[in-house]
Amino acid sequence: MTQITRRAGLALTALPLAAPPLVGQTLTRLRVSVIPVTDVAPLHAAMRLGHFAAEGLEIDTSTTAGGATGLPGLVAGQFRVVFSNTVSILLGIREGLDFRFVAGAAAGNPAPPDIFAILTRKGSNIRSGRDLEGKRIASNTRNNIVWLRGMAWVEKTGGDWRKVTTVEVPFPQMADALAAGQIDAGIFSEPFASGALVSHGERLERVAWPIIETAPGATVAQYVTMKDDLERNGEVFERFARGLFKGVDWVNERRHDPALLDLITAFSRVPVERLRQTALPTYPKAVTPAEVQEVITTMARFGMGGRFPAPASLIFRTANG
Amino acid sequence: MRALARPSSGFLLILALLLLWEVSARFDWMNSPNWPPLSVVLAALARDSLGGELPLLLGGTLWRMFAGLLAGGAAGVIVGLLFASLPVTRRLFGLTVELIRPIPIPAIIPPLVLFLGLDNTMKVTVVGLTAFFPVLTNTMQGVRAVEADALAMGRTFGIGFWRRSLHIVLPACLPYVFAGFRVALALALVVTVVAEMIAGEQGVGHYLVLMQFAGRAPEMYATVILLAVLGYGLNRGFLAFERRALHWYFALGAQRN
Repeated sequence: MTQITRRAGLALTALPLAAPPLVGQTLTRLRVSVIPVTDVAPLHAAMRLGHFAAEGLEIDTSTTAGGATGLPGLVAGQFRVVFSNTVSILLGIREGLDFRFVAGAAAGNPAPPDIFAILTRKGSNIRSGRDLEGKRIASNTRNNIVWLRGMAWVEKTGGDWRKVTTVEVPFPQMADALAAGQIDAGIFSEPFASGALVSHGERLERVAWPIIETAPGATVAQYVTMKDDLERNGEVFERFARGLFKGVDWVNERRHDPALLDLITAFSRVPVERLRQTALPTYPKAVTPAEVQEVITTMARFGMGGRFPAPASLIFRTANG
Repeated sequence: MRALARPSSGFLLILALLLLWEVSARFDWMNSPNWPPLSVVLAALARDSLGGELPLLLGGTLWRMFAGLLAGGAAGVIVGLLFASLPVTRRLFGLTVELIRPIPIPAIIPPLVLFLGLDNTMKVTVVGLTAFFPVLTNTMQGVRAVEADALAMGRTFGIGFWRRSLHIVLPACLPYVFAGFRVALALALVVTVVAEMIAGEQGVGHYLVLMQFAGRAPEMYATVILLAVLGYGLNRGFLAFERRALHWYFALGAQRN
C-alpha cells in the first residue's frame, strides 16, 4: 500500500520539481491559499492585471471555501502565503508557529455599512448582548475573528459572553437556521449578511454592526508566511507585496465600480446582483503593531489569552506601510 | 429494456418525489431561497454541462476516483491473498490492518495534507485507503471459500504454491473480489468528493462547496443530482462488467438453479 502510494506520490510531485525557475526567464511560482471572499479582491486584481508577472511571479491560488487548510498547509509547506483571519494567525503564533505578516488584507469600515453584522429574528426582541444571555448565537467557527468581534459586542452591550451559547453554523446555512429558530442570533460576515436580509428580509433584521460598535475600523485578516521562508527568500515576498499593493490601489480606486464587481464575481462566483448590495471591507496594505495588539488584548478578554511575542516582531518589512 | 417500455413502480416513485420537489419549491413550503425548484436546478445543470465546466471537473473527479480505486483495490487483492495463504503475514500485519480499518477516512484528510499536500497525491491516497479494506476482507473471504477439492487436486498434480495461488485460488475467489470492488466503488466516489470538498481547488467536490458559499443553490443541487446519477451509472456499469468478466460464475449459478 505505502509503496504504491509513494510511487504515485513521486510521479505526481516530480512535475513541479522537474522545472526549477530559470533566473530571468521563468516566473517564480508562489502558491497562495485564499478563501473566496471579497477580502481577496486585490490579489485577484493584481493577478489579472499582470502585476505579479511584472515582478517575475506566477501566483497559483488555492481556494478553500471553509479555509480550514490554509494555516496547516502553510506549516506543511504546501503554500508560501496564506490569507487568514487575525485570530487564527495569532492562535498559531501563541502555539509557537512562526507566522509573519507580509501584508494587510481586510479591515472593518469606519462607518456603516460594515462587513460584519449581527442579525436576529424580527419580533424576538433581542437587541443587545444582555438579551442574548441563555440564548444561542451562531458563528461560522468558534475562536476566529468573527466570533471574537461578536463576543466583544455581547460584552459591550451588557451581556456576559460566558452565558451566551455559541453554535457553529457555516455562513451559507446561517440565515435558514436563524429564520427557522434553531439559533437566536447570528454573527454574519459579508456577503452573507446582506444576502440574508435580501432573501429572508421579512423575517430577519440587523441589530448591530459589531466591529463599528466595539472597535471601529479594526482589523480582520492578513497575508502571512513562515519566518524561515522570509529569512531565506525575503526578496520574493517583497515582489509579492509590491504586486499585491498595486492590486490594492486598483481596487480602492474602484469601490463599487462594475469592473470591481465583475472581478469579484469571477473568483467568488457570487452573482453580481448580490454583490451590488454587499459591503466591501477596507483594504489596507500595512499591518500595524497597534492593530495586532488590539486583537491580542481583545482575545485575552474572551478566553484566548497567552504569551505572544511583541507585535512589531511579527511584521515583515513589506507590511510596514 | 422492460423498465423503458413499462415504467415500474420504483420509477414512478422517483417521478412523484421529483414532482414534490418542484411543487414544494414553487410554493415556497420551505420558506427559503436555498430550496430552488427542480426545473431551475436542471436548467443550471444544463448550462454548466454545456458550458463545459462541469464535464471537465467531473473528468478530474473520476480520474482521481479510479486511480485510487485501482491502486487500493490491487493492494487489497495482493494483501488479501497473502494473509489468507501465508498465515505468518497475517500474524505480522493483521493487527495493524484491523486498527487502521475503523478510522473514518475523512477524519484523516486534514493531517494527511501535512504529508501529501492538497492535490492528486493526497486525494488518490485517501481513495486508495478507502478501497483497500473492502477488497481485502472480501478477498480473504474468497480464499477461504475456495473448494478444498480443487486445492487438493492441485497439490496432487504437483502444482507449486505460486502457481496454485495464481491459477486456482485467484480465479476461484474472483467473485468475492468483485463484490469487494463494488463496495469500494461506491465508497470511492463518496470519499473523492469529500476530499475535494475539504482541500484544494479540484473537481466536483470543490465546485459544490464554492457554489454553496456563493449562495447559488441551483448549481449546488445540480451537482448533487449529477453525483446521484453518476453513482447509479457507475454501479450499473460495474454490474455489467462483472457479468461479462465472470460469465463462467454466473453460468455456474444458472446451472445449479
